[in-house]
Amino acid sequence: MDFDRFAARALDTASKRGAAYADIRLESARTERIEVRNGVVVSLADSTSTGYGIRALVDGAWGFAASDEFADAGIDAAAARAVAIARASASIARARVGIVPPDAYRDRFATPLLRNPADIPLGERVALLLAAEKALHVGPLIAVGRAWIDLWSSRKCFYSTSGSRIEQRIVQTGSGIQAMAVSDGDVQTRTYPGDVGLYKSGGWEIVEEAALTDHAERIAGEAIALLSAPQCPSGTVDILLGGSQVSLQMHESCGHPAELDRVMGWEANFSGTSFLDIDQLGHLRYGSPEVTIVVDNTLPQGMSTCGYDDEGTRSESSDIVRDGLLVGYEMSNDTAHAIGRSSNACVRAQGWEFVPMIRMCNLNLLPGNVPFEHLFDDIRDGIYMESNRSWSIDDRRLNFQFGCEIGWEIKNGKQGRMLKNPTYAGMTPQFWNACDAVGDERSWFAWGTPNCGKGEPIQTGRTTQAASPARFRGVNVGVGYRG
Amino acid sequence: MDKRAREAMARAVLARSRADQTEVIVTARDSALTRFARGISNQNVAAIERAVSVRAIVDGCTGVAATNDTDEPALDAVVARAIALATFSPADPQTPTLPSGGPVQAPDGSFVDATARAGADERAQACAAVFEASERAGFWAAGYVSNDVNGMTIANSSGALASYDGTNAAANVKMTGPDSTGFAESYHADVRRIDAAALGRRAVEKARASATPRSVEPGPWTVILEPAAIGELLAYVTSHFSAQSYDEGSSFFAGRLGEQLLGPNVTIGDDYAHPLAPSMPFDYEAQPKQRVTLVERGIVRSLVTDSYYSKKLGLPNTGHALPAPNAWGPQALNIVVANGDATADELIATTKRGLLITRFWYIRTVDHKQAIVTGMTRDGTFLIEDGAIAGGVRNMRFNQSIVEALRSIAFANDATRTGGYSYSLVTPTVKIENFTFTSGTDF
Repeated sequence: MDFDRFAARALDTASKRGAAYADIRLESARTERIEVRNGVVVSLADSTSTGYGIRALVDGAWGFAASDEFADAGIDAAAARAVAIARASASIARARVGIVPPDAYRDRFATPLLRNPADIPLGERVALLLAAEKALHVGPLIAVGRAWIDLWSSRKCFYSTSGSRIEQRIVQTGSGIQAMAVSDGDVQTRTYPGDVGLYKSGGWEIVEEAALTDHAERIAGEAIALLSAPQCPSGTVDILLGGSQVSLQMHESCGHPAELDRVMGWEANFSGTSFLDIDQLGHLRYGSPEVTIVVDNTLPQGMSTCGYDDEGTRSESSDIVRDGLLVGYEMSNDTAHAIGRSSNACVRAQGWEFVPMIRMCNLNLLPGNVPFEHLFDDIRDGIYMESNRSWSIDDRRLNFQFGCEIGWEIKNGKQGRMLKNPTYAGMTPQFWNACDAVGDERSWFAWGTPNCGKGEPIQTGRTTQAASPARFRGVNVGVGYRG
Repeated sequence: MDKRAREAMARAVLARSRADQTEVIVTARDSALTRFARGISNQNVAAIERAVSVRAIVDGCTGVAATNDTDEPALDAVVARAIALATFSPADPQTPTLPSGGPVQAPDGSFVDATARAGADERAQACAAVFEASERAGFWAAGYVSNDVNGMTIANSSGALASYDGTNAAANVKMTGPDSTGFAESYHADVRRIDAAALGRRAVEKARASATPRSVEPGPWTVILEPAAIGELLAYVTSHFSAQSYDEGSSFFAGRLGEQLLGPNVTIGDDYAHPLAPSMPFDYEAQPKQRVTLVERGIVRSLVTDSYYSKKLGLPNTGHALPAPNAWGPQALNIVVANGDATADELIATTKRGLLITRFWYIRTVDHKQAIVTGMTRDGTFLIEDGAIAGGVRNMRFNQSIVEALRSIAFANDATRTGGYSYSLVTPTVKIENFTFTSGTDF
C-alpha cells in the first residue's frame, strides 16, 4: 500500500482547506490472540486493520478525523472533516493551542527481534499453550486453567506538513498462565508472570523467556494452598512488595498523576486530575531519597519503546522524580509549552482510528543497592505481597488501595506462612516517602502493562514500568476484609 | 455502509466458505466525540470504521479471522485464514451448532436520523452552552458530547441473517469550583434529547452545593446513591449472571439458583428493548435476545446463555453471546433495575443521617466470590442530616459487598439510563443501609 501517495493527498487537502498544520498517521496493525481455557482453544483469532488518522490545526484549535477508506474521495473527505472539526473547535475556544513539533525528521525505526513470531509455526504456538494449561490442573480444586499468547505488530507511517516522514515497525509480544481454584465460598487465583503475563516489545523470545510450562505446577499449587491459608491480618506493618506490584503501584500513583494533560484538567471528567500541581514542580517531596523515577521511551524491550511518538517527537529519557523530588512530567508539545518546556515524546494513539494524546510511557523506578533477599532483613513484623489482584485510586491519585494474589508473613527477617487476600492502602506521597529500600539491579525487571485505559473515546495503552521489589514502612494492611 | 451493502457483503463472504459452519459479522460505524476542558476542545474527533469477522468451524474446531479491508482478495483471504486457524485448534465436543436466528425487530426509537446527521458544529454549540454555565458560576468545566451510528449484520451457515442500525448520543459534564466539583450526564438514542445547557446547570448546582466540604468519619453509613453511582456499582456484579461464571463456580450464587439471596424488593432484568436504552435485538451469534428476569423479588431466577453454554448446560439460549472469540462467556449487557415507589427526595427525607453520592470512581473487585468491591466517591458527595442536605463532604473510599448491599436497599421511582465506557444500564436512585467506608481524603 503506497502510504506516501495517500499522505501527500491528505496533507494537501487539509492545507487547501485552511489547516495551518496537519499530520497523518497511516497504520496497518495485526493482532493474534491464542487462548486455551480448560483444555479448549477458546480463542484462535487473527485480525488486521489498516487506516489513517489526520490531525488538522485551524486558528489555534485541533480537529481529528480517521477513516479506513483509501479511495481518493475517502481521503479527501477525511481531511476535510478534520479541518471542519478543527474549525468547530476554534469557534468556541476560550484559549488557543496548537504547538507543533519544532523539528521534522525523515527516519525509520524497527523493534529489534531475536525470533520473528511469524516464523514460529502456528501449531507450535498452540501446542505450547495446551501443554502449559494442562500443567495447571494439579488437582480437582482447579476450576479454571488459562494460558494465552498475544502477538501484536504494526507498520506506522507519520507524515506532517512540516516535512516529517517517519516509518516505524513495532512488534510486541505477551503470554501468561492463570489458575483459578474454587472451594465452597472461596475463589483464589494465581497468575504468572506478574499479574497479567509477560509483555514486552520483541519477538518470540519474549514467550520463551516466560517459560510458562515450567511455572504452571507451582502457581496452581499456590492457588489451591490459598484456599486454606489464613486471612491477611489487619493493622499497620512493614511491607515488601514484589517487582510486578511495585510496577503497578508506580503506574497508578506516579505514572498517571505525572501526565501533564491530567495536571492541566484535560482528563478531569473521566480519569481525573492530579495532585502533582504545576506549582509543586521542583518543590514536592514525592518520595524518599531512595525513589528516582524516569520516563524512558528508549528502554530496551519497553512496551512504549519506539523511535518517535505520535506527534513526531524523537524518543528520549527524562526524570519525573529525582532522589524523591518531583522534577518533571510526561508531556506533549501543547502541554509542555504551557510550562515552558519541550515535549518528552509521551504522545501515543491506540491505533489509526484514535487521536494521539499523552500516555504513560516506559516509567522506571531506578534500582537501589539492596539484594532482594536482604530486603527482608530489617522487617520484624511484616508482609510480603506479590502479583496484583485489585487496584483502585482516587481521581487525584492520592488515596489508593491495592490487593495482591498472594502474601507471606515476615517475622524477624524471615519469610513465613502464606496469607490469603493481602491488601494494603495509603496516600501516595506518604507511601513513597515510607520507601526505605529498593532492590538492586539483579531484581530489576521491565514489567509490561498491556491494558491501560484513558481518554474519551477510551483508548487502551501499552506501557512498561521497570522496577525491583521495594520495602515500605508502617503501611495499613488487611483493608477491605474483616480478617 | 448501509444495511443492504452489509447484507450483500455478509452473503458474499459466507458463500466463499467451505467450512462445516461459518459465521460472518459485518460492522460499520461512524462515531464522533467532542471533548472539552477549561474552555477548549482538547479532543475533537470522528472516525469511520468497518470490519468483517469470520468464524469458521471445521470438525468441531474453531478459528476466527477479521479484517477491515473489503476488497475481494482480502475477503477471500480472511475466509481462508479463519479456516486455516480452525485446523490448528483441537476439537471441542461442546462446539455448538450455530443458531438459525429468527424474527427480530429493532426496539422503537433505536435509530434517530438527527443523531446520525449531527456534526461538529452541533457538538460545538452544546459545549459552548456548558462553557457559558461554567463562566456564569466562575467555575471551569470538562466533559464531552458525542453522537454515533452503528450498523451490524450477522449471517451464518445455519441460515441466520440479522441486521441492526442504531444511534447513540451522550454528554457528561464535570464542573470544578475552588474546593468542590459537580457532575451530570445524559444518554439517549436521540441527540435532541441531550440538553447540554441543563447538564451544565446541574453540574454547577452540584459543585456549589458541595462547596466548603467537611470530613466525616469512615464506617457504616446510610447512603443514597444516584443512578450514576449505583450503576457503576452494579456493573461489577452483572458478570455473576453469566452461565460461564455460574458453571465455573465463581458466581456469588453458584449452585443456589432459585434461592432468595437478595432483598425482597430487588428485581433486576436484562431488557434490550427498554425505552430508555433500546439496543440490538439479537446477540453476536444472531440469536434473538430474550428479555430475562435475573432477580425477582430477591430470588435469583435466571442465567444468561449463548449457544455454547446452552448446549453445555442444557439451558435455553437466551441470546447473550459476545463476539467470538471471547473468554468471558455470555453476558447481560442491558441491565434494568426495577423502580420502587418513593421519590428520590423521599429517600433523602426519610434519612436521619447519611450521605448522598453522585458518582463513584475506580471501582475494582477485592473479592470476587463475595462480590466485595472498593472504590471512591467523586464529583458531589453530600451529608444528609434530619432528612435534608447539610452540605458537601470530602471524598471517601468504600469497601462493600454488592450482595450485602442488595439485601438492605430501597429504590426510588426515577429509573434513569446511566453508563460508563464499558456498560450501559437503567436504574433508579437507591438507598442502602450500612454501606462501609474505610478511609477519607482531603478534597
